[in-house]
Amino acid sequence: MKRLIAIVEDEPAIRDNYAAAFTREGYAVRTYSNRAQAISAFAARLPDLAIIDISLEEEPEGGFELCRRLRALSAELPIIFLTARDSELDAVSGLRLGADDFLTKDLSLPHLLARVNALFRRVDALRRPETPGEIMRRGPLTLDTERMQAQWDARVVLLSLTEFWIVHALARHPGHVRNRQQLMDAANVVLDDNTITSHVKRIRRKFQSIDPEFDAVQTVYGMGYRWVE
Amino acid sequence: MSLRLKLLLLGLATLILPWGGCQYAREMESALREGEQSSLQAVSQTIAASLQGRTDLLYREALAPPDAPEAPAVPVPPGADPVRAFLNPGPYDLKPLALTAAPLLDGYPDDWPHDPSAWAYFGEDDRHRFGILTGVYERMLYVLLEVRDEHPLFDAAGTNTLDPATFGDRVWLGFEDSGGEQHQVFLAATGPGSVTARRIETGEYGQQNAPIEPRIHGAWQLTGHGYRIELRVPMSMLGNGFGVLVDDRDARGVDPVSYGTLGSDDLHTLGRLIVAAPELASYLTQFMQPGLKLAVTTPSGRVLARADALAQVSGLGSDPPILARLYRRFVDRPGAQPLLESPAPIYDRDHRTLIGRLEVTQTATGWIRLRDHALMRMLNFTLSTSAVAVTAMFAFAAWLAVRLSRLRRASESALTRSGLVTSFPETDSRDELGDVARSFSTLLQRLNEYTSYLRTLAGKLAHEIRTPLTIVRSSLDNLESEQVPASARAYLTRARQGSERLSAILIAMGAATRVEEAIGSAERVSFDLVAVLESAVAAYRGAFPGRGFRAELPPGPLDLSGAPDLIVQMLDKLIDNAVDFSPPGALITVRLRVDPQVAAIEVENPGPPLPELLPGRLFESLWQSRTGTDSQPHFGLGLYIVRLIAEFHGGEASAANLTDGSGVRVSVRIPR
Repeated sequence: MKRLIAIVEDEPAIRDNYAAAFTREGYAVRTYSNRAQAISAFAARLPDLAIIDISLEEEPEGGFELCRRLRALSAELPIIFLTARDSELDAVSGLRLGADDFLTKDLSLPHLLARVNALFRRVDALRRPETPGEIMRRGPLTLDTERMQAQWDARVVLLSLTEFWIVHALARHPGHVRNRQQLMDAANVVLDDNTITSHVKRIRRKFQSIDPEFDAVQTVYGMGYRWVE
Repeated sequence: MSLRLKLLLLGLATLILPWGGCQYAREMESALREGEQSSLQAVSQTIAASLQGRTDLLYREALAPPDAPEAPAVPVPPGADPVRAFLNPGPYDLKPLALTAAPLLDGYPDDWPHDPSAWAYFGEDDRHRFGILTGVYERMLYVLLEVRDEHPLFDAAGTNTLDPATFGDRVWLGFEDSGGEQHQVFLAATGPGSVTARRIETGEYGQQNAPIEPRIHGAWQLTGHGYRIELRVPMSMLGNGFGVLVDDRDARGVDPVSYGTLGSDDLHTLGRLIVAAPELASYLTQFMQPGLKLAVTTPSGRVLARADALAQVSGLGSDPPILARLYRRFVDRPGAQPLLESPAPIYDRDHRTLIGRLEVTQTATGWIRLRDHALMRMLNFTLSTSAVAVTAMFAFAAWLAVRLSRLRRASESALTRSGLVTSFPETDSRDELGDVARSFSTLLQRLNEYTSYLRTLAGKLAHEIRTPLTIVRSSLDNLESEQVPASARAYLTRARQGSERLSAILIAMGAATRVEEAIGSAERVSFDLVAVLESAVAAYRGAFPGRGFRAELPPGPLDLSGAPDLIVQMLDKLIDNAVDFSPPGALITVRLRVDPQVAAIEVENPGPPLPELLPGRLFESLWQSRTGTDSQPHFGLGLYIVRLIAEFHGGEASAANLTDGSGVRVSVRIPR
């Protein structure tokens, strides 16, 4: 059975373009242009993945509300925010509501598809807990690239998909400096320097909330970041 | 000229008040003087009119009794007209002075007025000659007789005054009484000193004796040339005629050489005493008041009688205060008379002939004092008004200047610092300055709104453009999966390139907004600025192979509190800027200069000098003067971001041309 992707987006051209791309990839796609439509449809059947815009027709913050409702319906359902808004505040709000990723709309379709595929892989991996995925260990850090799950000292660190990929890119070659462009490529995003900086900052904070002594992600000023063990 | 000075000068203009006051006082004074003069004229004319025809008072002319016949039986010859006779004095007439004080009867002339023209001289020759000076004071006739005598001879002492053998020098006085009867008395002395007149009486039986006439007495003194007699005669004894005869004897008992103004045969008076009646003086006295002097003179100007109260002026103070004297200097016209004079003619009864003059003199002291008093009060008032006005204006000007400079400083700082102006001075004032401040404040508010609109415009625009760009890009992405003929592939590639550039533009446009967000969420940590700069410069060497980089950094670590990420981002912008404006192969210098208070990061690049601008404009949002043609999008945000980050660290950014003009130095000074 085809996986069902719900796209909640009030801009018809974008909606249709995304729908066409996902359909071509072999997904079933349902599109909604406002929150009310989406809610009533989700009540009938939950999609396997939701891509939500923040501002929906008359509701500038409608996407956030929708995300909250959706997360209440299902804890595992992958949710991606895809928005024209790129402010730090929006990103933090969206991720706090339990979204798996927060992306700006200038993301290319192949990058978006890569993410969607990755998220489905993770869902699949989580459903098969007994089979261990591809595990990478760097000291206290354990990265499960199948489940896209990070652990520090055997405790789960909740990272968004972009954050996971950045950590993965850094930890794969400890001591090597990864510049911002490399990190963007690894995370399948096109971002500016400040967004990378704030991603790194958020990653550090998440690890520090588990281990206040966490200092594995180092800034190499003018160049980028590196993982130190 | 500063506002303060201008208003001070304006305040000095109030000095026109005292000046005007002085002018007014002068006008007032001349008006007063004119008024006084005319009233004085009226007074003098009135008194003169009351004296018209009063020859009895003026010249002691006997008035015809009211019941006397109108025309005398014997026609009066023209020369005998009494008035005319007085007016045309004969050679033997005496004209007494109107004395101002009674001479002491001591035989010395010191207390007489020194007036050579008042003397009358009579005599036979040089050896027999006397001078006579007469004067009237309070109903007394005073006579000073200066007799030239080579051999002054007194009567023999202790002898009968009627015995001719004892006779020495004698002096006869002859006079008419008011009834016209002739009287004679003689003066004889046995030595210098007091002398009393005697008259010769013939008794019932023809015997003669010489009783003392006590009303006429004086003093007899010898002088170098003869002797001097000083006498006093009550005016009540005297009529018109009056004469003196000197009997000069060189030895006792011999016939004298007689000369003088009495007939030598019967001693009748040859001349007259031209003197006013004593009543004239009391008549004048009734018109007296302090500060006034009345004088009746003959037509030729000799004083007949006077009443003088000039000295008794009712004063407001004994001495005018120094201030008043100073003020008077400004007001008094040079040559102004302190006395007012008003002469009036006195005519005879027929109003034909001038019989005398009345001279009325009034001292000006009275109204000068009055004027001084008024003037002083007015000047004190106006000068203190001026002083208060000047002080008030100066204070007002100073206050105004303070307010204005506060306003100026506020507007200047509001212009240079593009932060929102929350409080502007003087906007609460209700005056025009408050209006100016309010409109200034409004203007700056609008300017700020506009500036902040401009600043956020890029971010908003980026956001608005992102949606259509997403449509384009997603469409292109979809198109990749369709069957696109090879001939159309090139267009697809170009469209993709174009959309990628648009995307880069969007990212650049939103940069400032994101930096502001990053600043808003930045955490301050302590970091080593030297290490950060070293690391960053090393990175630039790799990032910009077309430029050389030189780091001039102090050896030791420099701990600074701040956000190292932002510092590096700021340095990125500075280096971007330096690379853009320097030719390929140029050497870019990154320098850290450390003061006790300030760490200054300087980036120098060779290249064209800065355009002439307001300092600081370079660091404003959306400001750019770049004419480069590189493909990178520029929105003039780079140096604005530098400024934002510098200000986050409490510092400031500035740009200057290198002194040799070979390039530009941008420096960021951050307090330690």
